Amino acid sequence: MGVDGGVPASGPWLVRTITGVWKGVFKVSVMLAMTYLAAQLLSAALPAADYRSLPLLGNRTAVWIVAELHLMFAAFVLGVPIFALITEIIGMATRERRYDDLAREFTRLLAMAYTLTAVLGCVLLVLFLALYPKFTTYMSSIFKPTWLLYLVLIFGEVIVAYLYWYTWDALQGARKRWHILIGLLVNLWGTALLFVADAWVTFMMSPAGIDEANNPTSLWAAATNLTWMPINIHRLLANVAFGGAIAAAYAAFRFLAADSDEERARFDWMGYVGSFIAIGAFIPLPFAGYWLGREIYQFSEQMGVSMMGGGFSWLWILQAMIIGSLFFAANVYLWLGMGRIPGGERYTRFQVPMMLVLTLGFLVWATPRSIIATGAEMAAMGGSHHPFLGLFGVMAAKNTAVNLMILTTFLSFMLYRRGNRVPTVSWTLAGKAAQSLAILIAAGVVVGYGVYSYFVPSIVRIGFSLYQVAAVLVAMAVFVAIDIPLLKGAREIGVIRWGAIPERAQYALFFLAISFTWLMGLMGYIRSGIRQYWHIYGRVADESANAYTMTHGDATLIVSSIVVVFFLLVSAVFAMALRDGRKV
Amino acid sequence: MLLRTFLRIFVFVLLVVGIYAYVGQLVPQFEEHPPKKKVITAQTGRKELVAIGQELLRGKGGCLICHKDSETGNTRGPDLRQAAVHAPTRRPGLDGEAYLLESLRDPEAFLVEGYPKMMSSALKPPANLTPAEVKAVVAYLQSLGGVEVSTVVTEDDAAQSQRAAKAVHRGRALMDQHACTGCHKVEGEGGDAAPDLTRVAERHPPAELLRKLNDPAAWTAPGFDAGIMPSFAEIPEGDRQEIVAYLAGLSGIAYSATGAASPWSHEGVRLGMIILIANILMLTALAWARRRERREVT
Repeated sequence: MGVDGGVPASGPWLVRTITGVWKGVFKVSVMLAMTYLAAQLLSAALPAADYRSLPLLGNRTAVWIVAELHLMFAAFVLGVPIFALITEIIGMATRERRYDDLAREFTRLLAMAYTLTAVLGCVLLVLFLALYPKFTTYMSSIFKPTWLLYLVLIFGEVIVAYLYWYTWDALQGARKRWHILIGLLVNLWGTALLFVADAWVTFMMSPAGIDEANNPTSLWAAATNLTWMPINIHRLLANVAFGGAIAAAYAAFRFLAADSDEERARFDWMGYVGSFIAIGAFIPLPFAGYWLGREIYQFSEQMGVSMMGGGFSWLWILQAMIIGSLFFAANVYLWLGMGRIPGGERYTRFQVPMMLVLTLGFLVWATPRSIIATGAEMAAMGGSHHPFLGLFGVMAAKNTAVNLMILTTFLSFMLYRRGNRVPTVSWTLAGKAAQSLAILIAAGVVVGYGVYSYFVPSIVRIGFSLYQVAAVLVAMAVFVAIDIPLLKGAREIGVIRWGAIPERAQYALFFLAISFTWLMGLMGYIRSGIRQYWHIYGRVADESANAYTMTHGDATLIVSSIVVVFFLLVSAVFAMALRDGRKV
Repeated sequence: MLLRTFLRIFVFVLLVVGIYAYVGQLVPQFEEHPPKKKVITAQTGRKELVAIGQELLRGKGGCLICHKDSETGNTRGPDLRQAAVHAPTRRPGLDGEAYLLESLRDPEAFLVEGYPKMMSSALKPPANLTPAEVKAVVAYLQSLGGVEVSTVVTEDDAAQSQRAAKAVHRGRALMDQHACTGCHKVEGEGGDAAPDLTRVAERHPPAELLRKLNDPAAWTAPGFDAGIMPSFAEIPEGDRQEIVAYLAGLSGIAYSATGAASPWSHEGVRLGMIILIANILMLTALAWARRRERREVT
């Protein structure tokens, strides 16, 4: 469903628009027809069985790879329109053309990504029908009405997304608000698609709406199961962060390949906006994650414990390492970016203490609770946990560390924002003091609850994380609420020199995109893996040869392969966008 | 320039991904397999019962996620090495075995001081133990605590377990749901007003059974009145296929409930027609817009 190349020309826009929209609808129609025929032919040709085997890759790995790639592209095509719309609205409000151009540049990236998402979705459906017929039939018996709704939503999304692109020029000036309305519809449709698909995924984790014999009793209860809304919110935020990171990586690629200073300046700015949106959406993401964790515990303490304290706990160490690295990369990018801001040098002195907080937070977060050790080592430690370091391996310490890292990154952002500006309002000192106090109180609440967490059971402890999160969110809201009037009419020391940023800053942007993608793959595996040998947890067992939980090493190799394939496919998307851009 | 930039970035991608994959190899490596199915009967000896109980406790029961049965392990729940020792004194009126059975079947009936409510009944998902398996776990706990293994699996426990362990075929569940078993007998259960369907697939192949569900007048078994059975054409096609698959299976005939219908009779085709019409409508709109544009030009 590619948006065919270039910026829509002025002129006979109605014919162009209808042609473009129809092309999109036609492509989806053909894909669906082919999927249907393939599924029917395979079902008729293959022998009757509950499971069928795919040679070479095997059922699980094949479904895993295709599902994860589908999810990554889906996240991209759902995330990008959100910030394209935000950027467009900023452009309309500030009357700055460059925001409108940026929104269009982002939207251009959607072209091939839409096609790839749809193709991967179709392949996934065929794989499910061919390899897991019994399970797919069971899911269909519960969710069939939502599948029809999903189809309607797909066509709706295609129509509004193509309208959004093709009416860009026709709906400028006084008619801009109509274009923004279409952009809003693209996002509403996309969000509805996400919510429907999440109902299927979360039902497998926390089934509801079925009786003791697994017969459906309520579709609504099955769809709105315990983990549905936390995953909706988690994915919505993650999509924006992921889309922003990939768009920033695109900008970094264009920056590195730029022929002129003008082009470098343009893509430096685009990279900054992309990373700003990515990190902005990333900051509240752990909070949504805590909510999801809490709901998992509410549904099944056993599932929660095997996720956090069982075999999967080692993957959280990996997650900690990646998130810690993400925080480092984001801060390094901001600090390198300070170099292009006259006056930014005033804040250089804060970088070392902030780096210290990030490093300590990283170390705490990456500390495992229990260590595989020899008998002699265990005897020396006095058990499987280290007497001192073991204290940092539990969630109490990790929640505290991550909240402090979030606060630090937020501060980096705020200092960056203030880089070339000097407040001139009469209450500058009081304002800054209030801001500092808000941050200190939040840090105090985070540390206080962190220490108290050691003395309560896990089900209470996971609830504390919400209070820590709330303290951080309130502090950030207070800081920003003061910052806006504080910097109103501020004196500018100089103009930001866009393009004057070291090349290594662009690699920080790539690092963000790669790490986001790898993290997404890992978390997807954990979310799915904690069902262990169940298709539908506690209800429908996986009786295939793939029912076992593989080693973490094998799982991370598969995640890594998926990430490499994703970046190769994304490179193709970038190349197409570049080709289209040059045609204009 | 572009290609060189791309290659540089791709090497960087491989490097970062490689580091993450490498760290993934450094953490402890182990595979977790689904629990093996063991059949427990009234004749199962105590020693074997204890061994099965140990396996269930460590595997299917998932008990060690919170408890421990050795020196190292989790302490979210009480230490199981002492469970059987303390059992006789926990609840007045309950002996050791009865207390242990209750703590597995209904864990919230009594909580050991200092431990929160966090365990669901072992008879329910996710542990989903059968009554005989619960007794095997109790036998293991008694053995672990060094007390006499008094638990005995009765014929009734074994029979209950067999019933609980036997998965109800979805086709059978649908037959109950749609009241087929109100008139028909299947596998010894159901009414006598209509023919016994247990071996019906030996006489009628799946396609014929499907036809009968859609159109009950298609044929009638000798000795029974026609026109009594209602049509099931309105229930979802997948459900009809499941019922036929179940009946075919009772006669040892393999029949896939998935995709067995002709592709052309499937509702997917009807959906396809709607999509086709939508495409035609859009093409009509396009033709109209083109004609309007030509008129404006001329």
